[in-house]
Amino acid sequence: MNGENLEAFLARLYVDENLRERFLANPQAEAERAGLSSEESAALTQIDRVGLELAADSFARKRLYKELHARPQTFLERIKAVLRKF
Amino acid sequence: MNDRLGLGWRPPLASGILTHQHRVDVIEIIADDYFDASRRELARLKTLAAQIPVVLHGVSLGMASAAPVDAKRLDRMARLVEAIEPEYWSEHLAFVRGGGTEIGHLAAPPRTAATIAGTLKNLETATAIVGSKPLVENIASLIDPPGSTLGEAEWVATILRESNCSMLFDLHNVYANAVNFGFEVQTYFETLPVEHIKALHLAGGRWVRSREYPESRRLLDDHLHQVPLPVFDLLREVGKQVPHPLTVILERDGNFPEIRVLLDELEQARTTLKQGRESGLLRPLKV
Repeated sequence: MNGENLEAFLARLYVDENLRERFLANPQAEAERAGLSSEESAALTQIDRVGLELAADSFARKRLYKELHARPQTFLERIKAVLRKF
Repeated sequence: MNDRLGLGWRPPLASGILTHQHRVDVIEIIADDYFDASRRELARLKTLAAQIPVVLHGVSLGMASAAPVDAKRLDRMARLVEAIEPEYWSEHLAFVRGGGTEIGHLAAPPRTAATIAGTLKNLETATAIVGSKPLVENIASLIDPPGSTLGEAEWVATILRESNCSMLFDLHNVYANAVNFGFEVQTYFETLPVEHIKALHLAGGRWVRSREYPESRRLLDDHLHQVPLPVFDLLREVGKQVPHPLTVILERDGNFPEIRVLLDELEQARTTLKQGRESGLLRPLKV
């Protein structure tokens, strides 16, 4: 296992609902399609399904919160943020 | 024993903290909130740091990963550390992105030799860029990280020993993981090298239930609720076992009660830690 590929796949799995659906229907196939090693693919067939659902929900809430409370970066974004207050 | 107890600095708590500075020994500022701070905001933070001891806490570096940590993010941390001169800075043993995808929060990486090696390299890079070693914090997770070959305590202890970093031991995070994944908090604590534990986090959480598997639930570390009793029990045990002074931060991210409620909770933590210091564990831990 090189680790980076598995982390990249997990990141997508936590964020992408469509990938999650396909993965849960056939974990081995989806892991292999992502180019993971046979060892990594085998590990993913044993995934904690309750944890995956709850973690994905929690991450989605955090992303939404950040989106709503994002600090404006550019001048235009700052102007828009000020205008939103009125 | 000069233990110090304080609060996480959050804008809704600011006036309450400043009004009751005599009851707050230290504050912890979320570094990422100030990565893009204006000069005026930085000046305000410096003024604050001159009034009360400050520590900085990072949440988005993604230090525990087989992938290299982003040097640009570390530069921003370095600039903030240079400007504020905190007593220490800290970051989580988590990954927060992978292959270009931002997860949006702290995720537990697979606990393997590869993530230990990556984390050690990242901690080395961070130390070189920021100029001081971070304290590293254990995280809470709702999912048992797939592909793990090591237990959490063993994985964390190895990183601590090999990096020689100090630990920010989050007691609610380990409690949540213990109830979620069925291990003993006491065994976890005994696996850690106690000489590395320099700071503690206290927080609360709530139960969340699965839609797909309604009989299953997990404890979510949401920082929105009171510190539960088992976490105070663990605090007492830490007070008994760790021989050196500790910095203890009570974290609250929302659902804010009146400041006096948080200050009373902080006082309860102070008393509990003192009990541990003086008389050891009063009753066995049950998790």
